[in-house]
Amino acid sequence: MHRPVAEEALRAGDVRKVYRGRMGPQVEALRGVSLSIRRGERVALLGRNGAGKTTFLRIASTLLIPTSGTIHAFGFDVVEEPERVRPLIAVVPQEGKPFFHLTPREQVYCYLRARGISRETAKVRTEEALGKMGLQDVGDRLSVTLSGGQKQRAMVATVMATEAPLMFLDEPTIGLDPFARRAVWDMLRELTRKGSTVLLTTHYLDEAEALSERLYIVEEGRVLFEGTSESAKRQIGGTLRVSIENGGHQRDLFKSFGGIVEEGNALHVITGPERVHEIMDLALRNRLSATVGPVTLEEAFLTIVGRSIDAE
Amino acid sequence: MAFGLRWSGSGAFFATEIRVQLHEWLAILTGTLTPGALIIFVAILAADLLPVTLIGALVYSMFLIGQRVLNEAAYIRIDHKLNELYHASPLSPEGYFIGIAGGMLVAYLPPSLVVFAILELIHPLGLVATLTLAACLLAVWAVSSTIGYVVSTLFKDMKTIWPYSALLTNLFGILPPVFYRFSSVPVAWRSVVLVLPTSAAAVLVNGTAGLETVTPPEAILAAVSLAVEAVALFVFGIYWARRMARER
Repeated sequence: MHRPVAEEALRAGDVRKVYRGRMGPQVEALRGVSLSIRRGERVALLGRNGAGKTTFLRIASTLLIPTSGTIHAFGFDVVEEPERVRPLIAVVPQEGKPFFHLTPREQVYCYLRARGISRETAKVRTEEALGKMGLQDVGDRLSVTLSGGQKQRAMVATVMATEAPLMFLDEPTIGLDPFARRAVWDMLRELTRKGSTVLLTTHYLDEAEALSERLYIVEEGRVLFEGTSESAKRQIGGTLRVSIENGGHQRDLFKSFGGIVEEGNALHVITGPERVHEIMDLALRNRLSATVGPVTLEEAFLTIVGRSIDAE
Repeated sequence: MAFGLRWSGSGAFFATEIRVQLHEWLAILTGTLTPGALIIFVAILAADLLPVTLIGALVYSMFLIGQRVLNEAAYIRIDHKLNELYHASPLSPEGYFIGIAGGMLVAYLPPSLVVFAILELIHPLGLVATLTLAACLLAVWAVSSTIGYVVSTLFKDMKTIWPYSALLTNLFGILPPVFYRFSSVPVAWRSVVLVLPTSAAAVLVNGTAGLETVTPPEAILAAVSLAVEAVALFVFGIYWARRMARER
């Protein structure tokens, strides 16, 4: 197996993908995505449903051929040299399920063996992965008898046990309880400490914030933002959020104070600490109740994507 | 690395598939029901046709393996997305295809061995007929597994696939002379029958086992057709597996 030598685990340049439907219209899923991930980094790819996250992950993991653009994993061309890339990567597919007629122990072990890992190492890693994913008690039950969350954990354990240099995880914690999600986070952190690189997609923005060192926000096949979650929050115009209950119809009153995010009938004003008093006073004068809190990544995401939607 | 084939991890995936199928032992048992029922009917209604029916049951069972490849490959791709797990790994696409096809063959072989044992009791085959049987069954497996695997990649939902599976089984397993004698086929249709892999296999084995008269030109046509179809389709299966490992 060729050892990875490039400093960058993944580099994508102007990747485009057009799905040409036989019956329907063609769909432009990626419109020039460029990104770069250093070795050992944990990076999250965020976006709405249909933004192009899974398409990008499938291209990066050799499963889909792009319409144009370049993409390299550890210096190897993903499109031209997939057989050199595949030993270096592992994928948790979106909505993937383990073999129902294997036990989680068999599932993990057999997959490691199919990847060419020795019997002894495969046994050790299988037990480690099952332990970390809390599956030891059900390790010998057929997966068909497991709960949805346990099946998902078996899938994550299968891929994590590979300790592949580059891992792609498409919504790996979907359907997991908060404890199981944190177990996945811990395992991912441990893997990156050992040198693996992780690119994941998630709709849980707390997860992206807790786990990723950097994130990319994509919308309609384009990268809208690249940076840390802190810089995403700063980009939207403030570090504090004033939430005004029943303020949805008072947008014009507050829009001069900063970014506005509407949520149901509530209005969130993203602003700096120096303007909080003014907003609170204005809210109270208008008999509206208001609370102050730190800006979350979710608000940053909604604002960044919302601006893009408004602009379109 | 003959013909650029890569087999890394394929043995382990082959073993995985056998393990998966053996956990589904009930499916293996129920898979013997159709040929089993036919054997019972024939034993009661026309006992002299029993050896022909047993050979037909072996050929039919081998063709059914291809239909199981179809269902398994489609199921783990559409429902489980496990093809993505394996295609984005060092396991080669040809190893994946042959792992599924071979795993099915091994898992579903025991019922065929029982049928073969019954055949040996009723109508012992000589060495040539036994070797012909083995070669023909292997060829039918190669043809049907490839058809099964290729068809499995063409659809996006399981329900669409089921009718095709039933159609293929009837088209290749029931309609041509697999369970009945080649001599029952009208002369005008015989060359067509000899080109179909299942009936070609049955005719060749019945001929070498002395169960019916097959002329040399008929035997040659059946043997050449079966061999060419098996090799050509299996090579195409490998090509197709590589092509489908990456969507376009």
